[in-house]
Amino acid sequence: MTDTAIEAAALGKSYGRRGRALDDCSFRLPAGRICAVVGPNGAGKSTLLALAAGLIRPTTGALTVLGGAPADTRPKIAYVAQDKPLYPQLSIADTLRLGAELNPGRWDAELAERVVQEGELDPASRVRTLSGGQRTRVALALALGKRAELLLLDEPMADLDPLARHQLMGTLMAQAAEHGTTVVMSSHIVGELADSCDHLLLVSGGRVRLGGPIDDLVDAHTLVTGRGPVAELAPHTVVESRATGRGTTALIRPEGPVGPGWEAQEPSLEDLLLAHLRSPDAPALLTPGTDPRTAPLAAPLAEGEVTV
Amino acid sequence: MSSSLLKGPRTSLLKGPRWTELRLHRTALRTTLIALVLAAAVTAFVRWAASAYPPVEGACDGVCEPTFLGFANGEHLLGEATVQASHALLLLPLLIGVFIAGPFTARELESGTHQLAWTQSVTPTRWLASRLATATTLAVATALVLMAIFRFGASDLLGAWNMNWPDRGVYEATGPALVAYCLFAVAVGTLVGLLVRRTLLAASLTALVTGTVLAVLGSVRWQLWPVVQASGPATTMEPHWMKVLPRGAFMTDVGVTNAAGERFIARQCTPDQMAHFPCPSDTRIAGWFLDYHPRSHFWYTQFIESGIVLVLAAAAAYAAFRVLRRRTA
Repeated sequence: MTDTAIEAAALGKSYGRRGRALDDCSFRLPAGRICAVVGPNGAGKSTLLALAAGLIRPTTGALTVLGGAPADTRPKIAYVAQDKPLYPQLSIADTLRLGAELNPGRWDAELAERVVQEGELDPASRVRTLSGGQRTRVALALALGKRAELLLLDEPMADLDPLARHQLMGTLMAQAAEHGTTVVMSSHIVGELADSCDHLLLVSGGRVRLGGPIDDLVDAHTLVTGRGPVAELAPHTVVESRATGRGTTALIRPEGPVGPGWEAQEPSLEDLLLAHLRSPDAPALLTPGTDPRTAPLAAPLAEGEVTV
Repeated sequence: MSSSLLKGPRTSLLKGPRWTELRLHRTALRTTLIALVLAAAVTAFVRWAASAYPPVEGACDGVCEPTFLGFANGEHLLGEATVQASHALLLLPLLIGVFIAGPFTARELESGTHQLAWTQSVTPTRWLASRLATATTLAVATALVLMAIFRFGASDLLGAWNMNWPDRGVYEATGPALVAYCLFAVAVGTLVGLLVRRTLLAASLTALVTGTVLAVLGSVRWQLWPVVQASGPATTMEPHWMKVLPRGAFMTDVGVTNAAGERFIARQCTPDQMAHFPCPSDTRIAGWFLDYHPRSHFWYTQFIESGIVLVLAAAAAYAAFRVLRRRTA
């Protein structure tokens, strides 16, 4: 078992004439995290998850999942695509049977059936008769039943009502905590995953803009308000500055104490994300340990793992 | 495969990807099974009718009244049904190709369920290998059963009723060629389905490709093995080639030659020059010739044609694996 769930090095994926979905994307996700992949629509979130799931091949760069190529670690990865594809003609029971047949030796029938039962779904009902939320539940049951070490969920909660979302998230988190599963969930709704996740990847324009534990990322930034010119903030990295009623408000990465005349406060996660999304030119920030270029690569790679 | 098999206890035959393929296409399997049973039942009935209602001597002179199910008698019905069946069997590779390309392959990619299938513990390569194996087995089984039913129905009619061994339909249905075309349809359907990713378009394209190969090879198959040539001196106006042609042989060309061996169409040039025929006036007919495939050539052309079709099928299957390998990790 490796301590790195996903490691991307200069990862790029282009879809011919449709342009580049990912471009020079580098990050490292330590194992055991609950990671939110956030970003606007079309940022490359789905491409990133599909690459990690081994569904598509990168155009450039390399991706290592659980210490191996995605193709080799397939049994240890579960993936739920954005549209929650399921076979419409199958019953729920047969869909779970499919999971058992295609994952011999791994399948946890009891867990998969429990997830379905919690949604009060009749195992005999056909998938084509289910609502969007019910389909999501069956798709998650299929993914959880695989007992994967890495769960890749693309917009998992989009179709769920708040009650079902809370319940399913609870099941998911309980499973992840019990088995040390790494969970990667994408969303374009910032607040949706903030409560459940401890790690963040902000993807925008095909690149990772922010990466690291949420607490570390928030700690690395300060929201300052003052009357002075923005030039006074020069020693720090200014992510974004805006004129407000009381003067100037700026999100900075402080490089030391902020000068007098500036009132500092801790930004919310939402402040952080919105500021970075509004300022595409701000330098990316990967906290130590999540940047493959600075992370101690030698340790995990010394265990005989090969980077593709 | 019956439904009780699919629902029953796990057997070594029905597990893993194979269970998935058979369960997902249970309706198509049942339909095929019903169609095969119907074909056998209809054939049995028609054969029974032919023996129970033979033509009555002197019942009709010249034109017979269609009194038996729209036919003159049971034997007439059997003959017509067999001719139609021999043509219908040519549609089998097209039907198989349409199913494999459309509902079996392209629909997975169109509806996105391939994302489900390819992210289980089974690799996409194994997924494809398993589907090809299942589809191949079922296509061959279906073709063999239908060919056996056709044999049973047509047993004593081949060579009569305008049905001879080189006829389109009869030729394919009585040798390995039809099985080879069905395998080709499976491979091409898989490749086109993976490439096109649209159910209807993939199905139509596969039908077109399979139909074209059937038509093209059907028209060149008599050039695949050298014909037997017979010739003789022209002595009378009626060259006696009909006496030379062996029983059951398939004549591909017949005509006359001059002293240099140049060939002319028999009706245009005869030893005794006739007016109004576009035969060069200075042509002196010296002999006649006859090209034919004896009955024994059936197996040579069958095996060569089947070999070509199987090579094409193997190429398509290989290309399908390449496409999949290039696309997925």
